[in-house]
Amino acid sequence: MTGLFVNLTNRLGLNYEFLATGYEAQIWRDGFITTLYLIALLIPVSLIAGLLFAACLTSGKPWLSTPVRAFVEITRNTPTLVQLMFSFLVLNTFVSNLVGGTQNNPLTPFFWVVAVVGLHIAALHAEAIRAGIEAVPSATVEAARGIGFSALQILRYVEVPLALRASLPAIVNNLINLVKLTTVGNAIAVSEITYASIMVWTQRDNVVSLMIVILLFFSIINLAVARIGLWVERKLAIPGYGL
Amino acid sequence: MMNAKTDETIVRLEDVHLSFGQTEVLKGIDLTVNKGNAVSIIGPSGSGKSTILRCINALVAPQRGRITVDGTRVDQLAKESERIALRKRIGIVFQQYNLFPHLSVLDNIVLAPTRILGVERREAEKLARELLDKVRLSEKAGAYPGQLSGGQQQRVAIARALAMKPELVLFDEVTSALDPETVGEVLWVIRDLIRDGMTSILVTHEMRFAEEISDIVVFTENGRIVDQGSPEQIFHTFDNPRIRQFVGGLAGGRGPVREGI
Amino acid sequence: MTTAVLSEQRRSGRLLRNIGFTAFPLVIVLWSLADLTLGRELVTWLPYLGSGFMMNVVISLCAMTLGTTVGAVFGILELVPFKLVRYPVVAYVQVFRNAPHLVLIFATTYIFPFEIVVAGNYLPFPDWLKAVIGLAIPASAYVAEITRGAVLSIPTTQWEAAKGLGFSRGQALRWIILPQCLRRSLPPWMNILASITMGTSLASLVGVHELLHAATDASTSVRRLDFTIIAYIVVMAAFFTLCYPIARLTRRLERRFKTA
Repeated sequence: MTGLFVNLTNRLGLNYEFLATGYEAQIWRDGFITTLYLIALLIPVSLIAGLLFAACLTSGKPWLSTPVRAFVEITRNTPTLVQLMFSFLVLNTFVSNLVGGTQNNPLTPFFWVVAVVGLHIAALHAEAIRAGIEAVPSATVEAARGIGFSALQILRYVEVPLALRASLPAIVNNLINLVKLTTVGNAIAVSEITYASIMVWTQRDNVVSLMIVILLFFSIINLAVARIGLWVERKLAIPGYGL
Repeated sequence: MMNAKTDETIVRLEDVHLSFGQTEVLKGIDLTVNKGNAVSIIGPSGSGKSTILRCINALVAPQRGRITVDGTRVDQLAKESERIALRKRIGIVFQQYNLFPHLSVLDNIVLAPTRILGVERREAEKLARELLDKVRLSEKAGAYPGQLSGGQQQRVAIARALAMKPELVLFDEVTSALDPETVGEVLWVIRDLIRDGMTSILVTHEMRFAEEISDIVVFTENGRIVDQGSPEQIFHTFDNPRIRQFVGGLAGGRGPVREGI
Repeated sequence: MTTAVLSEQRRSGRLLRNIGFTAFPLVIVLWSLADLTLGRELVTWLPYLGSGFMMNVVISLCAMTLGTTVGAVFGILELVPFKLVRYPVVAYVQVFRNAPHLVLIFATTYIFPFEIVVAGNYLPFPDWLKAVIGLAIPASAYVAEITRGAVLSIPTTQWEAAKGLGFSRGQALRWIILPQCLRRSLPPWMNILASITMGTSLASLVGVHELLHAATDASTSVRRLDFTIIAYIVVMAAFFTLCYPIARLTRRLERRFKTA
């Protein structure tokens, strides 16, 4: 099967011979799977953290909202790569010192990628959810209070359902950015698809062939995310509400 | 109302059929408009009135029938450039005025003559100011559409259409979106225009106005012309119960309440 | 939430926002003063870091200029009634919208040659220029999307009014539609500017001498943990000072446009 594929693409001028070898194919396949694993992990991590951040931001208690707000602004306005390098070079060293040496440090570069990218996207989610909550018409909330709901009940029965639908497009957008952001792992040698591809093409000089695969890979995944997002939007849509 | 009326036909529609997708909107329209005349088209919403206007200046195309405007066979225009040439000769004013919000009143009027006809800017401005005088908005030349009331915007829209020196003007329910107080100022302008001899085709709900200024009134329903004649005939002499019912429902002189305008 | 709590939030919010502009530089200055050896190190390295940051600014501006011009054209091309023109452009936009910036920078760096031949002369093809192209490609895809969105958001009544006066499609686009698009495209365009500016730090991974690369260089040379910390804080401060005002301005413009 692989032989056939390599032959066909060779005729088009593309070089996929590395797939036939054992070692390089393994590396590349691992990179492919690592990226998928990162994405699968990051989506729930960012969503849960995002909800927590959003709750803090809208809690009305300054000791909760101020630090979260500060974090959100910092992570939104500085490059994620810089945040990752800082975490890995500085925070990781602190942890190592704390546990008495790098050999005792359980935190891998993979962990740091998930932590930094996850929290960064969570901050974006939090902003989207906050905007969604603010988009709930105050008249509706007022009506709920008039009926006699408590603040928590209003949150649960009125604000969250409406805010969720309003913030869904922005959240899907953030998830697409999340998929793209997994590539920063490159900087700290996390072997995701780009890193693995570099290892292959520095030996085989088939940059274009691998580039096509990578571009296709991300296009397909992001298309899938967008489609799933659209499906969720449609399932949750309220007839006549215009959301 | 007596000014250079001729028997020379300027617009003729013959057996015009038009459908949008599956819906048939015009089911055989025959209409003749002579030069210098004012024709009002009245009837319930959805009867195809606006579509008739849009056929005349080739904004929409019929599936069947002949449309002639001053010698030009509109239904046979194949290329967009030919249709554009036609539209330069016909003025149209819309219900929603559709002024260009990023340009001042003067620039709105001057844009088409300078960019399409190649008129010199100074000459175009001179004409524009004359037209603003005519619609009684000279002091608003530098204002922006967002700063004007509905009636004022509509008058600017009329001036904008006139700046192209058209052979005839189409009015598509131009007062339906206005406050009752501002309707009068727009009708005033249109009356003036018709008195000066401009061939006009109006789709309107203003029955008293239609009676006053029209040479011919046309009643449409369900994509067909039910009846047409002089205002006297349509509003008083003819004993068409449907027209009676429709006009009677508009006895207040404003739009029909039950038609959801 | 009562209005009292909201106004309280707004007040503390305003204080926080205005602190944001000065917090970073303040931390750096105070720390350098507290530990003078550190301060001296920082001062010696500052010009190196500064020249690196200049490179980020240059890459960002060049990429945005190139990306915006190409993107605006593509955005309009996405709307022409010819499938032969539309399909390739739509494909370009879809692929490069979804591609990670780092991948594109790698692509331009590894695919383009070291030097190009122009009229018989060998001109070096510098790495930063490759980074510019690498970032201009996604910028053009984003700009194409916002251009298309802006043109589609103009009410069809404007097109109708233009046609009624006798404008052709091209003339209507040029004189009536596009001028109105400019205003409403500004906030999303500024978002793209911020995103690309932050993307310039990725060029450090291909060896371009920009701020992050300079900071990493400096910290490996000085080999002090506290210097590494403060160097990276300087990097974050530099980007923050650039991007935070852009973000604030964008939000103000968005609000103004919503009420307009």
